Amino acid sequence: MGLPHGLDGTVEGREYLTFRIAQEEYGIDILKVREIRRYEAPTRIARTPAFIKGVVNLRGTIVPIVDLRMKLHQDCRPVYSEFTVVVILNLLDRVVGIVVDSVSDVLRLSDEQISDVPEFEGAIEVDSIEGLGTVGDRMLILLDIEKLMSNVDMGLVAADA
Amino acid sequence: MADTHPPPGTGAGSQFDLSQFYQIFFDEAAENLDQMEHMLLHVDLATANDEQLNAIFRCAHSIKGGAATFGFADIAELTHQMESLLDRVRRRELSLTPHVVDVLLDSADLSRVLLARHQGHQSGEPPSTAELVRRISEVMAGSQPSALPSVIDSVIDSGFEATHLPVDEQRRPRKLVLRIGPMATAEAADEIASLLCSFPHVEQLHELPVLQANVRALVVETTLTDEELRDLLAFHATTDQLGIEVDPGHDAREALPAASSFNSAMSDMEDEFFGLFSGAPGLPAENAAESAAVPAGAAPERPTALSAAAFEHKVGGNGNGNGNGNGTGAGIEAATIRVAVHKVDQLINLVGELVITQAMLAQNSRDLDPRLHQQLLAGLADLDRNTRELQESVMSIRMIPMSVVFSRFPRMLRDLALKCGKNVELVTIGEATELDKSLVEKITDPLTHLLRNSCDHGIETPAERVAAGKPEHGTITLSASHQGGSIMIEVHDDGRGLSREKILRKARERGLAVSDLMSDAEVWSLVFEPGFSTAEVITDISGRGVGMDVVKRSIAALGGSVEIDSAEGYGTRISVRLPLTLAIMDGMSVAVGDEVYILPLSAVVESFQVTAGSVNTVARGTPLVKVRDEYMPVVELDRLFDVPRKGAVAGAVTGTGTGTGTGHAAIMVVIEVDDNRAALQVDQLLGQHQVVVKNLETNYRKIPNVSGATIMGDGSVALILDTAAIVRRARGSRPLPHEIGYQELGELA
Repeated sequence: MGLPHGLDGTVEGREYLTFRIAQEEYGIDILKVREIRRYEAPTRIARTPAFIKGVVNLRGTIVPIVDLRMKLHQDCRPVYSEFTVVVILNLLDRVVGIVVDSVSDVLRLSDEQISDVPEFEGAIEVDSIEGLGTVGDRMLILLDIEKLMSNVDMGLVAADA
Repeated sequence: MADTHPPPGTGAGSQFDLSQFYQIFFDEAAENLDQMEHMLLHVDLATANDEQLNAIFRCAHSIKGGAATFGFADIAELTHQMESLLDRVRRRELSLTPHVVDVLLDSADLSRVLLARHQGHQSGEPPSTAELVRRISEVMAGSQPSALPSVIDSVIDSGFEATHLPVDEQRRPRKLVLRIGPMATAEAADEIASLLCSFPHVEQLHELPVLQANVRALVVETTLTDEELRDLLAFHATTDQLGIEVDPGHDAREALPAASSFNSAMSDMEDEFFGLFSGAPGLPAENAAESAAVPAGAAPERPTALSAAAFEHKVGGNGNGNGNGNGTGAGIEAATIRVAVHKVDQLINLVGELVITQAMLAQNSRDLDPRLHQQLLAGLADLDRNTRELQESVMSIRMIPMSVVFSRFPRMLRDLALKCGKNVELVTIGEATELDKSLVEKITDPLTHLLRNSCDHGIETPAERVAAGKPEHGTITLSASHQGGSIMIEVHDDGRGLSREKILRKARERGLAVSDLMSDAEVWSLVFEPGFSTAEVITDISGRGVGMDVVKRSIAALGGSVEIDSAEGYGTRISVRLPLTLAIMDGMSVAVGDEVYILPLSAVVESFQVTAGSVNTVARGTPLVKVRDEYMPVVELDRLFDVPRKGAVAGAVTGTGTGTGTGHAAIMVVIEVDDNRAALQVDQLLGQHQVVVKNLETNYRKIPNVSGATIMGDGSVALILDTAAIVRRARGSRPLPHEIGYQELGELA
């Protein structure tokens, strides 16, 4: 991919897929990303949290779709257009799709570019934020997407499991 | 088996790694052990024919050969002893008594344990084969008490009655000079020598000096004929390698330490090596415990004498041509192949995808003009048919008969009954009923549990049974049958049955909310409460509660259900209902609002339109619909699944919870699960199709009232309804209709 490699052949830093939700830019570990798809209406599942949009058929696999905007309380009335993007993730032996506004980039961040999360009170699960990345004057919220998704509140896993 | 042949020229070398063939041996050995056990349990002791005895013999023979080839000394030794014993039996020198069967079954068990050890499933101290080897020797020795009293005295177990065994008066001990070799190595010759002397009825007197290091000459005393000796050693030495000469001038009854001259038949010997397993390390040593401890991993280096030809021969499952093991296993191998489960699973997934794609094509082509697209449509019709056939064939690969499960129970019950001092007969019905392999694997443990319970707690002791006016032996009936889209497995005993009072008392002690007014079915269902699975309960009530919660949970996890029927004094029947397969089913699609749900067709009884007035509510607004003479609860699917209704349509059907049908027609689908019915209210019936069942839990989680999902022709996902859960929910805590066959139970008692 023409990425900078160290002399010993190892790759410096980690790669992040960055995407936008409203005004904020997020980054998730690229290794967790399986593919990026267009949004298609999922089959609704009754009595699940609103941000669980339902399930779709991904070439024969039933995949739950989570609206990350709603999950992160950015916008409770999302509008889905043909530009809405679903990022399919491989997490903990599961395949899960997340809905984001737009995918921007794949960025490599070195350790110096990542700073710790300052303590703050917020709606978003702070402990699911790995750190904050700085790219020029952009700030990336680096999500521990696995942690976020495996949260019981998420409804992706049964509470008693 | 062609791919198991070692490359030419590598066989005799010590570099050749046998371990790559271990799995084949393990599989075959396990199969042979199962087969042997099955035959031992089913053979009629009195009328066993040659065919049966030979078949049993061949099993032991094959395992022994394989074990020796691969260097599993402990198994080789044990099975060798079994083989010797069986050989005597089939020669009618020993009758097949229950004691013989016991010893053989125990030996088979130990072989299994040893196999598991070599496969790395278990660790710790290796079990010793010495005890069983001794028991086998006893059994064999016991056959000729009068012929060889001195031998018998030394080995016979005091508790073993040998008097019922036939005594061969013709046999007298003879003194022989045995020449063994030339073998590949001196050790091999030593091993055979020691092996020979470990045989029953063969007593080594002394060894004679020989010229070659790889040849042994022994003076032995034996009652065996030459032919028997050759047979016993058939696996270890060829006829050429075994010389038998009667020691002239000595009567066997004379002083034992007498020396004998040995007329060597060295000139006859051929240097050509042709022994099959002569060098294998698996030959029984005198110290059984020691040989049992030989680690499997060390084995491959040792069989220096293993020739490529010999190996090939052995892996093929055949004996070495002396008539003992001809054709072993060949029939089975020709008829079946062993395939890794994941390959079949993958095939099924792919066919599932094909079915979906086919359905999609069919749907998209529906509006095409048949005149313009005649060829395309004809092709699609062919595709449709072929897909269906392909799907059926692929699905049938996974279907295996219940006999695979059932076959393990006679043995288990036999042992258990023996332990409990009970007389139990197991009757199995419907062994040919086929079930998906994944289900078969998962149902085995719960069934084992149920059968064990029946034997342990259900069936009374013979004395109790006689006192109760029942036949001394209890009967446990295990049956499997197809019922619509599901399979029904029943475990039915004619034992003491469950005691209502005891269960209720126990439930009260545990603080469960119970009342004397509860129906029997409700009382029986208490044994599924986790609280009932404690040790004290076993003695207090008839012990049905032991782990029954686990049984119920594991069956529910398979999409099945369990029901208990019981009558005190007459017995208990536990019915397990399971889906035939987890992967595919016939479904009926229904529309609710804009959504589509799938009902398992097997649960659908009928559908009809209802109009105003035919739906009534009872307390708390539960709607009931009258179908002919029966009132049944109505499940409004739109409410159950919170289906959004667009403005004007909302509340149109039966509307709000308190509404009773506001005059608009709705469609009711009557579903039945375990004799309980409920009516599902839907907007529209869409059609019937075969659906590929997809698991929601793979990537998501269990959803209440939904058993899975499927992919529709247009690629969208539809949820499959869990009819059992919906019916249970609809009927709430209402008593289940109690339809126990008391009369039937009484007849069996």
